[in-house]
Amino acid sequence: MRQPSFDWTQGPAIPVVSVLFALVLGGLFVWISGHDPIQAYAALFRGAFGSPYDVSETLVIAVPLLLAGLSVAVAFRAGLFNIGAQGQLLVGAVAAGWVGALWPDLPGILLLPLTLAAGVLGGAAYGGIAGWLKAARGVNEVITTIMQNYTIVFVMHWLLQNGPMQAPNAFGTPASAPIGAGAILPIVLPDFLVPSSRLHAGIVLALLATLGFWFLLWRTSLGYELRAVGLGMRAAAQAGIDPRKRMVIVMAIAGGFAGLAGMIQVSGLFHRVYDGFSAGFGFDAIAVALLGKNTPVGVLLSALLFAAFSRGGTLMQSDAEISSHLVEIVEALVLFVIAAETVVRAVARRWGRPVKAAS
Amino acid sequence: MDTPIVEMARISKRFGDLQALAEVDLTVHKGDIHALVGENGAGKTTLMNILYGLYRPDAGTIRVRGTEAHIAGPRDAIALGIGMIHQHFMLVPPLTVAENVVLGDERGGPVLDTRGIEARVAELEKRFGIQAEPRAKIEDVPLGIQQRVEILKVLYRGSEILIFDEPTAVLTPQEVDDLFHIVRTLRDEGKTVILITHKLREVMAVSDHVTVLREGRNAAHLVTKETDPRAIAVAMVGRELRDIRVRPGNVGPAVLEITSLSAESDRGGLALKGVDVEVHAGEVVGIAGVGGNGQSELAQCILGLRKVTGGVIKVGGSDVAHDDPRRTRQRGVAYVPEDRRAEGLVLPFTLADNFILGRQDQPPYARRGILQGRVIRREGERLAKEFDVRPPDPDVEVGTLSGGNQQKVVLGREISESPRLIVANQPTRGLDIAATEYVHERLLEQRSRGCAILLISSELDEILDLSDRIAVMFEGRIVAVLPAAEATEERLGLLMAGHVEGVPA
Ligand SMILES: Nc1ncnc2c1ncn2[C@@H]1O[C@H](COP(=O)(O)OP(=O)(O)OP(=O)(O)O)[C@@H](O)[C@H]1O
Ligand SMILES: [Mg+2]
Repeated sequence: MRQPSFDWTQGPAIPVVSVLFALVLGGLFVWISGHDPIQAYAALFRGAFGSPYDVSETLVIAVPLLLAGLSVAVAFRAGLFNIGAQGQLLVGAVAAGWVGALWPDLPGILLLPLTLAAGVLGGAAYGGIAGWLKAARGVNEVITTIMQNYTIVFVMHWLLQNGPMQAPNAFGTPASAPIGAGAILPIVLPDFLVPSSRLHAGIVLALLATLGFWFLLWRTSLGYELRAVGLGMRAAAQAGIDPRKRMVIVMAIAGGFAGLAGMIQVSGLFHRVYDGFSAGFGFDAIAVALLGKNTPVGVLLSALLFAAFSRGGTLMQSDAEISSHLVEIVEALVLFVIAAETVVRAVARRWGRPVKAAS
Repeated sequence: MDTPIVEMARISKRFGDLQALAEVDLTVHKGDIHALVGENGAGKTTLMNILYGLYRPDAGTIRVRGTEAHIAGPRDAIALGIGMIHQHFMLVPPLTVAENVVLGDERGGPVLDTRGIEARVAELEKRFGIQAEPRAKIEDVPLGIQQRVEILKVLYRGSEILIFDEPTAVLTPQEVDDLFHIVRTLRDEGKTVILITHKLREVMAVSDHVTVLREGRNAAHLVTKETDPRAIAVAMVGRELRDIRVRPGNVGPAVLEITSLSAESDRGGLALKGVDVEVHAGEVVGIAGVGGNGQSELAQCILGLRKVTGGVIKVGGSDVAHDDPRRTRQRGVAYVPEDRRAEGLVLPFTLADNFILGRQDQPPYARRGILQGRVIRREGERLAKEFDVRPPDPDVEVGTLSGGNQQKVVLGREISESPRLIVANQPTRGLDIAATEYVHERLLEQRSRGCAILLISSELDEILDLSDRIAVMFEGRIVAVLPAAEATEERLGLLMAGHVEGVPA
């Protein structure tokens, strides 16, 4: 009778170790380049959390990262690799920006939900297409979502520049008309607490979405089915859970999370859509989901971490005169270590118990 | 009596709080095929790993050719002429057969003398009647051949004593025959073979002596010629076996009616070429056949997992040929799949979660799409107890259970809903005697309840023991249907090989 042994590689140990490892290695780079690593990290930390305002700015970045991270994570749970969070985010932003500006005079109680629904549904439809192509035609979702990322960028070019969404008075960067006041997410930190904070109610939506992610996956029949498909596709299929239907559904859900991120960027931050909008979140989201091991708390924490890197890195450059590329190096190292996890696991097993030669 | 070539005396080994071996003796004579048998977890592999130097015993002595040996590692074992063919092959896929044979051998200098190697490997092949194509790449040859490469590897290092750990588990029946032929040649050439298995048929077919282990202790030492399978089984299990051969029961109306069913295989061609078969309530119909003659495809068609290209499948009178698995199951069809690890279970899920697979959206396990965690756990606990799953812990990860216990989870899930038809594909493959007996009893219990059972198995004993009627499948067709009373092993064997009765083959 084989007893399950406690396996520390399942817990948070590996993500934590890989982040520490990456920080140490990154420090080494700083040191080689003739700077003081302690000082660099101190500046990074100050940039991200040094003042209430810095914290609120870090959170502003964390919100879309968290949502896009959930998008990637939910697809992972069903065994699909959603590289398309970026594209789905943009579709959500375009849809929200369009609806928000369509009836600018509607009261918030109507316009905000409409904008929200537009963002979520837009992202969901875009994600659903990739899921459908996989289910019906067997097209690899990695390929389709990458192509979709490009497609929406060019569609946005057209929409915003000489297209139907071009703002009448826009010059310089192509942009859409501003959304109505009713579609704007309020700032949640009052001025007397944190002056001129940009932290908007999107953070509440993002936290609710995280809760929803957990509830969906571990408390509903659908979530059970998605996880079953992700962990044992053939077992699920013979039990009557059609994996193809679940693929479409989960890609739509993934798109919905990313679309919500896009909507929040429009409604909470920019109040319009413009060309080159929110670049890169969807890609960092893959790292966020991987580092967070596709768990709600993990994704939340790693979204915060990546947001802190991003915010702190900018300030570190001006304060400590260390290139913000350091941050990119550290991020890459984190990913590298996570990717090498299989190796770490194998080593861990070897330490954990004697090697068995045969059954 | 001459000195035994291997003499292990009072060997003990603990793993944590588990006494894997307690004062075990094993005596093997030169030129013998010695079977080492026992249920899962009896300690067979552990004992052999000790002989091969992979584990150190806590107590006991080992003598090889009469002198006490301290075997600290495989090197020492190899130096003593001991070689081990592991259950999981340790070959390098992109290298050739010949290269794999010499891999890791110290005698080779820094430069590979490919010609010389190939010649020497060819010589070994000839001497022991082992055909393995020295120049083929490992990744291109089937498992049976890969195993021969392992054997050649061991022979190349000059082993006199060859240990095989469950060598037949991964082989097709034909490959098993070939392997036994090789094993006999090895013996005739003066080698000594220790063969780990838990299949009685194999013990009877090739061995000279049998040592039976049970729960880490010696249970019996027998001379094969003077014993019978039953005595060995009793020693393995530790009690009398129950007589399970079925008595005729009350057969009811037809539950499953299949007429001229055809379907394609995964590779294209036709897997089923017009299959007709009927199973009545309270009846077990056994499908006998060499693996790969369409049996699995037949099961998949019934369940709705494979596209039916022609014919009718009726369950309880309504055609389900084009239904998906969900709808088929709603008609009371249960399925025990061939590969329980990939198809029967979601291995990383808990026991309780696996019990509700397929019912995850139905009351009482879910209400309005919300899982009822407490009900699921309680049901998991109840079913685990009822079906004797060990440990009976609803939160245990199913992937960590032993094969027998995993099958109990599958079986428990499938029969707990009182199905009207059970399609069981190789339900006891890889299980030990006690677990096999358990599965058989449960299936027969369902039969007495009035359930129709379609039993697919490549084990003739199983088919003969359980079936009321036996259908033989060959190349995608049912070539004969016999009442159990008229079926003998010989008759079935011939039919399975494609010798249709009355027609000279
Ligand atoms: N390295 C190990 N660490 C802990 N327990 C072990 C180890 N190796 C074997 N065991 C335990 O020792 C017992 C005997 O195992 P062993 O593998 O020798 O059995 P076996 O007779 O070969 O069974 P099987 O037919 O399943 O191969 C089992 O309970 C097994 O779980
Ligand atoms: Mg073993």
